[in-house]
Amino acid sequence: MSNRPNAVPPANMTGITRGGRGVFVKPKDFRGTLRRLWDLTRGKRNGLGWILLLSALASAASILSPYLSGKAVTAIKDGSPVKFLLLMLLLLYFADWLVKLLQKLLMATVGQRVIHHIRNTLFDRMIRLPLAFFDEHRHGELMSRLTNDIDNISTTISNSLTMLMTYAFTIVGILLIMLVLSPLLTLVACVSIILIVLTTRFITKRTRKMYAEQQKDLGVLNAQIEEGISGLNVVKAFCHEREMEKVFTEKNDRLTATAIRALIMSGYLMPMMNVINNLSYAAIAVFSGVMYVKGQIADIGLITSFLLYVRQFTRPFVEIANIYNSFQTAVAGAERVFDIMDRETEPEDRPDALPFTDPTGEVEFRHVRFGYSPEKEVLKDISLSVPAGTRMAIVGSTGSGKTTLINLLTRFYDVTGGEILLDGHNIKNYRMHDLREAFGVVLQDTNLFAASVLENIAYGDPEASREKIEEAARLAGADAFIRRLPDGYDTVLEQGGAELSQGERQLLTIARAVLADSPIMILDEATSSVDTVTEQKIHHAMLAMCRGRTSFIIAHRLSTIRDSDKIVLLEDGRIAEMGTHDELMALGGRYAGMYLTQTGACANG
Amino acid sequence: MKLILKYLRKHWGIFLISTLFLTMEAVADLMQPTFMSKIVDNGVRNADTGLILLYGLIMLAIAAAGAFCAVMRNRFASRTSQTVGNELRLDMYRHVQELSLENIDRLQPASIITRMTNDVTQIQDFIASMMRMMVKAPITGIGAIVLIIIQTPRQAPVMGLILLIAAVLIWCNIRIGYPKFDLVQKCLDRLNRTSREFLTSIRVVKAFSAEDQEREKFSDASEQLAEANRKAQQIMAVFTPLINLVVNFGIVLLLWVSQNQDEAQIGRLMASVNYMTQVMFAVTMIANVMNTAVRAMASSARIQEVLDEQPAQDMAESTERPEIRGGIALEDMSFTYAGASRPALKDIGFAIEAGTMLGIIGPTGSGKTTLVNLIPRFYDATEGRILIDGTDVRKMEPEHLRKAVAVVSQKALLFSGTIRENLKWGCADATDEQIREAARIACADEFIEKTEKGYDTELGQGGVNLSGGQKQRLSIARALLCDPRILILDDCTSALDAQTESKVLDHLTRKRGEMTVLLISQRISTVMRADRILCLDDGCVQGFGTHDELMRDCRVYREIRHSQIGGGENE
Repeated sequence: MSNRPNAVPPANMTGITRGGRGVFVKPKDFRGTLRRLWDLTRGKRNGLGWILLLSALASAASILSPYLSGKAVTAIKDGSPVKFLLLMLLLLYFADWLVKLLQKLLMATVGQRVIHHIRNTLFDRMIRLPLAFFDEHRHGELMSRLTNDIDNISTTISNSLTMLMTYAFTIVGILLIMLVLSPLLTLVACVSIILIVLTTRFITKRTRKMYAEQQKDLGVLNAQIEEGISGLNVVKAFCHEREMEKVFTEKNDRLTATAIRALIMSGYLMPMMNVINNLSYAAIAVFSGVMYVKGQIADIGLITSFLLYVRQFTRPFVEIANIYNSFQTAVAGAERVFDIMDRETEPEDRPDALPFTDPTGEVEFRHVRFGYSPEKEVLKDISLSVPAGTRMAIVGSTGSGKTTLINLLTRFYDVTGGEILLDGHNIKNYRMHDLREAFGVVLQDTNLFAASVLENIAYGDPEASREKIEEAARLAGADAFIRRLPDGYDTVLEQGGAELSQGERQLLTIARAVLADSPIMILDEATSSVDTVTEQKIHHAMLAMCRGRTSFIIAHRLSTIRDSDKIVLLEDGRIAEMGTHDELMALGGRYAGMYLTQTGACANG
Repeated sequence: MKLILKYLRKHWGIFLISTLFLTMEAVADLMQPTFMSKIVDNGVRNADTGLILLYGLIMLAIAAAGAFCAVMRNRFASRTSQTVGNELRLDMYRHVQELSLENIDRLQPASIITRMTNDVTQIQDFIASMMRMMVKAPITGIGAIVLIIIQTPRQAPVMGLILLIAAVLIWCNIRIGYPKFDLVQKCLDRLNRTSREFLTSIRVVKAFSAEDQEREKFSDASEQLAEANRKAQQIMAVFTPLINLVVNFGIVLLLWVSQNQDEAQIGRLMASVNYMTQVMFAVTMIANVMNTAVRAMASSARIQEVLDEQPAQDMAESTERPEIRGGIALEDMSFTYAGASRPALKDIGFAIEAGTMLGIIGPTGSGKTTLVNLIPRFYDATEGRILIDGTDVRKMEPEHLRKAVAVVSQKALLFSGTIRENLKWGCADATDEQIREAARIACADEFIEKTEKGYDTELGQGGVNLSGGQKQRLSIARALLCDPRILILDDCTSALDAQTESKVLDHLTRKRGEMTVLLISQRISTVMRADRILCLDDGCVQGFGTHDELMRDCRVYREIRHSQIGGGENE
């Protein structure tokens, strides 16, 4: 009677619509994944044994109470005392209550602890993956790993496992008691089991395909929404609202049609189960009635017991089918999670890795080759020697490999050929953490965090004092606008900096690099989105920041790098020209041409 | 909730019919024990096999009828929930399209997208499960109790007591549980925000070796979620078994009261026990209702927020369709972004004739883009007026205005489809010849013709398979195909190398004919091509005139020039 420790939400009766993702995706290696999941929770799952034990005990009430109720009915009919039986029943229910309370309380604690652990493990693994991984995957997809997939695993662990336990014991227990009470009636009851299994198979086979189709249509519609909303200004500019709405409606309607079909099909399952259930109920009533009349059953209470059993007997079968489905979903989710965990992380430091505490900043590229994919080399045989303290500018058209060169230096990617030396050692020999600390980086993308201005500047050095932070901001020329913000340095950038202008954001990221005070500076198009006057204003700050340090400056605007110690012009992954501004101008090659196009008109005016 | 009701009201007929079927289904379930009791009390007691079989057949018929009802209500429920989802999405989409960019800025596109997808799905789930199950639970529960009282009237006080206790417990459960589930939802949002921020900033995280910091941030958010979940589940852990206990207690009481029962009533007693199990089924629904309902509430609030957003612009009086030639005049115009403390543009006034090429220059954040966004009415001036050929843009029908004004923004946005389809946005019935010509002017023809399928090359979502420079050139060609009277180029050549850029601008200068062109750039060399130059700084006009005039009169302009050609070797 109380054999449903945690009823499955109706919409999910057939395993549909949870999270909207990964539904009915068959796991590739069900057992292997399950075993890994088990290993992953090692040390976090203490208490699970108790939970399973309690789950097994929780089946006791559903097994025994119909029997006792039946006895009581017989006793009432015969007019014999029932007080003892009822007391037993009462005790049974109290025990049931206690078992379930403990089981659920324990489950809440253990389940959440395990989930928290898995989530953290995944994140920890993810954060160590190389940049290439993040470039290859959409953010939405990765986020759904961290939330949806893990939630699925959690539901499975906390619900399905215990339910499975309870149901398995319930089925076996009820079957045994029924057999003892009346083998013939048990046979009648079992007919319904066969019907249930067949129907479930029949329906889920069809829904599986339909759900796959629904997922596909949903994906298409979501992409359409994303495009239409994020490109709304263009849509408006071209008065394309009606056309967009038409396409949207088309895709929206298609999804609705497939979704309705899938839902209706899956919706057949429950009524079918109910019919079968009612059918066996009626069958038991009739059979037992006839048998009683014929004297084959002596005991009216037995009929009561059987009627109650048959009601409870079918449910676990349906539920186990559901659990199987949600297990499949969860395991498929777990596979996606493991897929990330199995990726090669950035190489661990070798045991003999060198610390890198006080670098001078001498850099040398030796025959460096690199390609993001084997077929397409982006850098072809780059050799370049940069003495400590050099201000090095890298120029070239889009796609010539400027940023790639820098990415190799910080080991966002590793060279595919040749080597890079820092202070005379291959950069692979240093501890990764030390190596990256040695670089101060300002990128074109101005990523700020939803935290205060102060915290944003102190990102690389959370312990920095307020004075030092303000000093860095002053040096970067950000102090003035920060003070104009509502709360000055304590202003919280609720939208991760979207409330600031592009130039202001860039100034903050420069301040961040200034504070980090690294021996080697990298400015990757750092001032491209700042206007030339502002650029001029921070130019001095940048000079001060770079003074005495090796620095690499990638720039579109050649005027900003004229006074660099050395300028390298990359073309198609090779060094095309190299020298000081004056040397390159005298050379009269590509660089001179580019420079004149950019400033030429001015010179004539 | 109001939102859900509003949409359901549209389908109230179907909803009612579906509820009717659901009720009949519940009734069918409830009738089974009654007939069972008749088998026992009439058939078995009188040893009448025929009667037993008859009742058995009736039970089967009822079961079949119940199944029929279930299938019907399932069809209705599926259709209604999906249709409501469909309508919600469409209404949101329509509404969002009508909003001005100011609204979109405030709501944030990413957030709108999640609301249109995930949140709508939550509501669909809620409606589906409501129409399938939630309504059935109370009908079955209350119906069962009523039937027990009818079958065995002396049970009435016991049943009343049980019902009362159960009701109080359920009420407490909802009161205490709801905020906990609400908190879970909030913690989940926070975890999502944290991971999104991490993913977008991954380069910075790695460059600053700030992995530990991020780990801690994530772990905090994850732990809060786990904690909130734990609390919510513990509330359920306390209440669900307790409510079960109360109902079970009812069974014992029922039997207790029935001691010394008249033998003729034994079937009825059995039926009553059966009914109690149905009450149990109804009661265990509570946990699920809570979960789905909380999610649906949170989702509907988020959707409502989008639907409640009032368009920041009033288009009601915008009906005029004057001929547009391209003369632009701004009169003491100021503009402040919603929520901003200081104006982005202050007292801007200038006028240019049709056919002028106007260069606009100024430091970052000086208001260049804001200014040109006001011309096709992406935003409306807070004070003052913008006139095109003497007509206030606010009086013009937006579509008429925007067809005459083409904007190429710095961030080139393309859509999935072929290159040709994308270019045709400018002009739906452009000929291939026209398309090629536009591509040629924008210097896009070379790379298009190099691709295997040429103009039929499929672009991914947002044109992901193109480089920034290629996208910019395509978006220029797209704008040219509009054959606009006013062409706005908002720093849209920034991703091109200097040579290609000047080639594009050369083509444009030669081919523009009578077109008015507003050319925003940070480079002096670019704006120098223009007939007139407007120099902005901090939202104010610093200078307006030719290059020479500005060199003479405008300090900001001189500074910009100085910054770009360096130490002044050319002066």
